[in-house]
Amino acid sequence: MANAITELSEKVRALRDEFARAVAEVRAAADLQALHDRFLGRRSGELNALLKSLGKLPDAARRGAGQELNALKDEITRRIEEARAGLEARSLRERLGGERLDITLPGRTPPRGRRHPLTATREELEDIFVSMGYEVYEGREVEDDYHCFEALNMPPDHPARDMQDTFYLKDRPGQLLRTHTSSAQIRYMLENRHPPSVRIICPGKVFRRDDDITHSPMFQQVEGLVVGPGIHLGHLKGTIEAFLHELFGPERGVRFRPSYFPYTEPSVEADLTCAVCGGKGCRVCKQTGWVEILGSGMVHPAVFEAVNARLGRTVYDPEEVTGFAFGLGIERVTMMRHGVDDIRLFYGNDLRFLEQFSG
Amino acid sequence: MRLPLSWLREFVEVPVEPGRLGDDLTLAGFALDGLESDGKDALLDIDVTTNRVDCMNVYGLAREIAVLYGVPLRPLALNLGEKGAPASEVLDVGIEAPDLCPRFSARVLDVRLGPSPAWIRDRLEAVGVRPIHNVVDLTNYVMMEMGHPSHAFDLARIPEGRLRVRWARDGEGLETLDGVSRRLFRRQGVVAGPEEALALAGIMGGALSEVSEETRVVALEAAYWEPLAIRRAARALGMHTEASHRFERGADPEATVIALARIAHLLEKIGAGSARPGVVDRVAVPRRKRTIPLRPARVRAVLGVDVPQPKAEAILSGLGFRVEADEGKAMSVEVPSWRGDVGREADLIEEVGRHFGLDKIPSSIPPTDARGGLGVGQAEERTLRATLVAAGLTEAITYAFVGESPAGTGGATVGGTAVALENPLADGQSVLRSSLVLPGLLEALDANERQGRRDVALFEVGRVFHPGPGLPIEERRLGILLAGCFRARHWSEKPRAADFFDLKGLLERLFERLGQGPLVLGREAERPDFLHPGQSGAILLEGKVLGYLGAIRPGFREGREDLFVAELGLDPLLGKPAPRVRFQALPRFPAVDRDLSILVDAAAGAEEVCAGIRRAAGPLLVAVTVVDRYDRPPVPAGRVSLTVSLRYQDPERTLTGDEVQASVEAVIRQLRAAGLEIRGE
Repeated sequence: MANAITELSEKVRALRDEFARAVAEVRAAADLQALHDRFLGRRSGELNALLKSLGKLPDAARRGAGQELNALKDEITRRIEEARAGLEARSLRERLGGERLDITLPGRTPPRGRRHPLTATREELEDIFVSMGYEVYEGREVEDDYHCFEALNMPPDHPARDMQDTFYLKDRPGQLLRTHTSSAQIRYMLENRHPPSVRIICPGKVFRRDDDITHSPMFQQVEGLVVGPGIHLGHLKGTIEAFLHELFGPERGVRFRPSYFPYTEPSVEADLTCAVCGGKGCRVCKQTGWVEILGSGMVHPAVFEAVNARLGRTVYDPEEVTGFAFGLGIERVTMMRHGVDDIRLFYGNDLRFLEQFSG
Repeated sequence: MRLPLSWLREFVEVPVEPGRLGDDLTLAGFALDGLESDGKDALLDIDVTTNRVDCMNVYGLAREIAVLYGVPLRPLALNLGEKGAPASEVLDVGIEAPDLCPRFSARVLDVRLGPSPAWIRDRLEAVGVRPIHNVVDLTNYVMMEMGHPSHAFDLARIPEGRLRVRWARDGEGLETLDGVSRRLFRRQGVVAGPEEALALAGIMGGALSEVSEETRVVALEAAYWEPLAIRRAARALGMHTEASHRFERGADPEATVIALARIAHLLEKIGAGSARPGVVDRVAVPRRKRTIPLRPARVRAVLGVDVPQPKAEAILSGLGFRVEADEGKAMSVEVPSWRGDVGREADLIEEVGRHFGLDKIPSSIPPTDARGGLGVGQAEERTLRATLVAAGLTEAITYAFVGESPAGTGGATVGGTAVALENPLADGQSVLRSSLVLPGLLEALDANERQGRRDVALFEVGRVFHPGPGLPIEERRLGILLAGCFRARHWSEKPRAADFFDLKGLLERLFERLGQGPLVLGREAERPDFLHPGQSGAILLEGKVLGYLGAIRPGFREGREDLFVAELGLDPLLGKPAPRVRFQALPRFPAVDRDLSILVDAAAGAEEVCAGIRRAAGPLLVAVTVVDRYDRPPVPAGRVSLTVSLRYQDPERTLTGDEVQASVEAVIRQLRAAGLEIRGE
């Protein structure tokens, strides 16, 4: 009896040793399956054979031997699982090792277009002024003499008309391409839904008979007009300083100097400290330290009077309301901000130029 | 204008160095354009605005400098010792055209012609005037010094010593000092002898009465001319002289006699002659003195700052205005004769502000309760740009004026009549564009092709012009051009050139982004003749033609058959805001997809087939999508195989296979009845 127990223990030990040898030799999933069948298989498994032999043992011994065998079974099951996990990890490692991309190759970028640099500047200007409570109003590109000149205090034969060489339309007397966005001031005041208050900017194309490195026969301006009771030159200064600082950075100095435009009185030009020399004086700023950036002024009473006359009643009483206006070139702003040195590039539509901008 | 500092110093003490003077003048409205200094003297280049003709000379600027620094302005020396018989004995003047010449003054000078002394020649050269001989040099010198132009006649060549100021007779001839024989017209003024014209009034002298080596006696004239008369005549004759520049901007009517005296004074001083006693001075229209009230409250209202009244008075009187002020009342300001530009209170306020200093006016932002915002259609226009840019297109801006028959377009037109320019800069810019594509975007393609760039994807948003009853009609449009492969090349795939469906897809996306419903195309509407008739369509919105899209027809552009263009009017698209999105409950029950392959006639439209399917399928069908198209064997020639995917769904329940099958069979029956063949299900 005791012999039978000892014999079984011997077999268990031998089986355990045998399994340890076999599992160490496993190289592939198929080996593992064979190992499973050999030791744990229901019919021909070696462990099962031993379990079957338990019946021959007396009851008292059967219990202890059964526990021993079951422990061995658990151990074999666990170690087969461990071996399987090890195999899978290795094969995954091998697979990943073979799936190496050349991550230095260029990526597949989505298509990229760009807004025209002038559009980008214009929209930025619009956003600045909209945030300051301005409406954006677009006038006409083809105008008549009244809106472009006469209402702006430039009667026929006024010498200031020479400053703006005008394109006229053929067989259409008095019709022309607007030389400045100031004509939109007049259109707005005439159709204003909440007179006499005005707070607008008017971006748009304008045209002058000029074509060289600093002049394009078509270019773009933004006009601004603020009208109401109590508007004064200090407001003009504050507004222009605010948006120039927004556009060019607060470190740039702004100065105002008297100038002349027929439709403003006083007329004021604004200069910005030269970005090239920082105001010390250089070739770009003709040694002055300043570069011209825009024209402005207090609305000439004659402009209000012209609008009133057209309306047939006093809507903008020059004794009651005052206003300021300003106009700046979108090309000029863009050229200054990006260092572009030839205005004609903006209308050449050369992608080598357009694609330099972030759009 | 350029002027030497030493000349200014004759009339005013300049207490600062030249650079500082330049800055101070700039801030008073006379921008310094350049400064050259050689240690002894400085040459200032000053930009005088066109309204300040009184400062286009040394003395006028000296007056401004005197006010800037609060220093006195020295008077012009005018003293002279007149000799001989009175001038009026040998010279008579008559003004026959007061609307041309309100005042005409003259002196008679005995002269010894010769070169001017060096100091006169040097100053003339410094300001850019070529010295000729002492008489002409002195007229130029005094014009540069105090601003008033004058003209010297050889008295011996004035018949009878009589000058008549009159309008020219139509066709009257005159040889001017520049050697040009001119034919004059009625609205041009002349200074004439009893018969013949001798000088072009206010513009240029005549050759006939020119001062020459034989000249011993000079009739020196200084007049005040009506600005408009001079401006119109100069413009009609295409002439622009130092004299006309000043007269057409309004000279000083009181300065005629001063200019004459100054010239006579200098003539004596340089020992080149002397003046006969008296001035022949004719005033046809006396100058009217102008007095303007100036209210301190108004100064504050416009400038936004209180300028102390004594300060305002000092500025104005320094500039030559005569100010009368009573405590608490408006000032009464008399305008000096040389300030024709000052006509109303606002002008006086500018004078005060200019010399008070714009930098002393505190800046502030005007208070407002106004709500700003973009104008009609502008937000949608931004959406449109952003959509196209995100799809890979770049924005072009082409000129609004184009050639009448654009080069390289085979005479093709986009239809309609063009609005032409009266005075274009170039032939290629003679009419206003009526299309963005032709020639604008095609020329932009040219520009890039010249740089060796054939892959181009551009769009433009801009206005085109059509003749209208009043002003031409301005229409906002979108133009698109696709040429070649506009997506960046990638090493992983073959480049693919853009085709019709890339273009159509762009427009479909655009309509969707603008909330304008599906893109509808038509083949019936007329399209530009540069489009391929089989590969183009009209873009329709609510039954109206909005524009077109399609391939450029072969042969239209040499060497290229891969061009696709679209152009459409934006006003109907951008005018109304896109409707707000309404949320739809997410489907709770699964959808069922079934595919059908249908053999259709190649000429039939896929949309027609899909519409037939929708009609036959019943309410459970939620979408029909074309997923494949095949037209090679075994598909018979002239036919194509379309595979469509049908999606069925019910919001309330899960569909049964039988229901779906019944619908698919109804679709098949319908298609067969329409003569179509089902290849597979």
